[in-house]
Amino acid sequence: MFKTIHAFFYRIAWWMAVVGGALLTLLVLMLCLSILGRTASTILHSDWMQSNMAGLANWLIGIGVGPIFGDYEFLTAGLAISIFCFIGWCQITGGHATVDVFTAGLSDRKRRWLQMVIEIIFALALVLIAVQLYEGMSTYIRRRSTTFLLQYPMWWNYLLALIPAVITAAIGVYMAAVRTVEALTDRALVVTEGAEH
Amino acid sequence: MTNLEIGIVSFPALLLLIFLRMPIGLAMFLTGYVGYWVVTGSPNMAMARLKSAAYSTFASESLAVVPMFLLMGYFATIGGMSRSLFKAAEAFVGHRRGGVGIAAVASCAGFGAICGSSLATAATMGRVALPELKQFGYGGGLSTALLAAGGTLGILIPPSVVLVIYAILAEQNIAKLFLAAFAPGVLAAIGYMIVISIYVRLYPDRAGTAERVPWGERMRLLLGIWPVLLVFLAVVGGIYGGIFTPTEGSAVGALGTGLIALFNRGLNRKTMLESFTSTARSTAMIFFIVFGAGFYNSFLALTQVPQTLSAWVVNLGLSPVAVLVVILVIYLLLGCVMDSLSMILLTVPIFFPMMMALDFGMSSEHVAIWFGILVLIVVETGLITPPVGMNLFIINAMDRSTPMTETYKAVSFFVLSDMIRVGILVAFPAITLFLIP
Repeated sequence: MFKTIHAFFYRIAWWMAVVGGALLTLLVLMLCLSILGRTASTILHSDWMQSNMAGLANWLIGIGVGPIFGDYEFLTAGLAISIFCFIGWCQITGGHATVDVFTAGLSDRKRRWLQMVIEIIFALALVLIAVQLYEGMSTYIRRRSTTFLLQYPMWWNYLLALIPAVITAAIGVYMAAVRTVEALTDRALVVTEGAEH
Repeated sequence: MTNLEIGIVSFPALLLLIFLRMPIGLAMFLTGYVGYWVVTGSPNMAMARLKSAAYSTFASESLAVVPMFLLMGYFATIGGMSRSLFKAAEAFVGHRRGGVGIAAVASCAGFGAICGSSLATAATMGRVALPELKQFGYGGGLSTALLAAGGTLGILIPPSVVLVIYAILAEQNIAKLFLAAFAPGVLAAIGYMIVISIYVRLYPDRAGTAERVPWGERMRLLLGIWPVLLVFLAVVGGIYGGIFTPTEGSAVGALGTGLIALFNRGLNRKTMLESFTSTARSTAMIFFIVFGAGFYNSFLALTQVPQTLSAWVVNLGLSPVAVLVVILVIYLLLGCVMDSLSMILLTVPIFFPMMMALDFGMSSEHVAIWFGILVLIVVETGLITPPVGMNLFIINAMDRSTPMTETYKAVSFFVLSDMIRVGILVAFPAITLFLIP
């Protein structure tokens, strides 16, 4: 029973990480394309091209050879979404940076209680972040703010970030529940490997 | 309590939470949140800040460098370049006394040029070099220690994730910081090589030598590492030459190592998914700390602790270098228990204004860059100082036959070399700054 539940949350977190990673890779490709386009555009606008092959140069510029319009808006929005996708995976695999030396001497029992308290606070924080992200989105809907270059509503970005943020909050609550059961029954259910610094 | 007192009290409270094993990002967020509440008398201000704080921290253009450099590092890890680098270095120096160890350090430096993370460098080079070192009769402690130390070159030699975070906190130019890190990074590699030469002369039974490799073969192996050189030059050259921004440079780097991995048949469905999940885990860890630190630091700024503290230090009338040395010692002590990024995010907002207020007889930009490089080195030393050196753990876990105490003993030589290097760089700022226009 527990194994099925854990596998469910673990799968969701894993999928979010992969989706975020794929999105990050798309952003990498987009930036590289944009650099290529910008370089090409500089060459096409150069005096040499304009005096020798003006027709070809202007035709290429005309069909849209150049930097990707609004690339930095795509970058920042995409980045925020992928980071929200990443946090759930970090949560369920225990990847957050901690200082372990001072609690290493505690008994397993005491450590489980400590872990429970910390994980509950973490879950509360993640829920709070998701709720306030929703509030932030509502503010943008009311103000009808749009992005600077691409001129689409700002709240679209927030909505796309809100989906992984809500799932992450759910994963946080689930992990808090796991740690609570562990503390109450004094046994290990989920063993994580610790952070990679 | 005055706001200032609340700010001052918050620091030990934060440390207590961290030492109770609360994740560092969460501890900073919680302290900042409660701090806001106590100072303003209600949670409203913290809540209002939170509406946009998480999104805008994660949607930062300059922080985009972090996941992209991490992805670049993971692609480099599966790209098989670690073996080519090590084989090429070994062909040149492997037949000398301590040569295989020196080759391992040299290839760590090479790998550091396409990877911005110490841990990834240590882990990747460890997998390749550790079996070889054993095969040539290197003592367990020496092998693990030299790879752990070599791993720190991943961050000292640009690109470097920690340096990016410092640049953002101190509002400095990333390209200039990368340039400034270059000479100290090379100096670090040379220092570690000297340590190995001395060590194998003190304990001749703990290291063997490889066969001499003919020059034709050496050249063939050297040609094999051209992709590493190409990616490094494209990224660092492009950023410095103003062809693209550091963020775009990190994208070029990720694409470059991704292509290398693809051509070397290292990139398949399984390894790509692993790169994604590893990047996800490290990125989330870093961004959550950045998020918490942003919250805590804006609370600190509200209480005016940083300004008051730096004014107080300036009024003490100590020599600036003495203050600098005290700060570096604090980093070394913190480094024994804490990871490098958390240390930087925790302390730079307090120490940086102090440095800026002191008169070192240099321009403020030069002081900022010089201080950044010094901090980078001392926090990296934290990765190899017992008891909690992450690099030591990583490498030691790969070698079951070597007890941790052996690694601790041997690594002390490398820590000593770090100390000497910091001394030299403090005494001669020009080593760090001569490339900076």
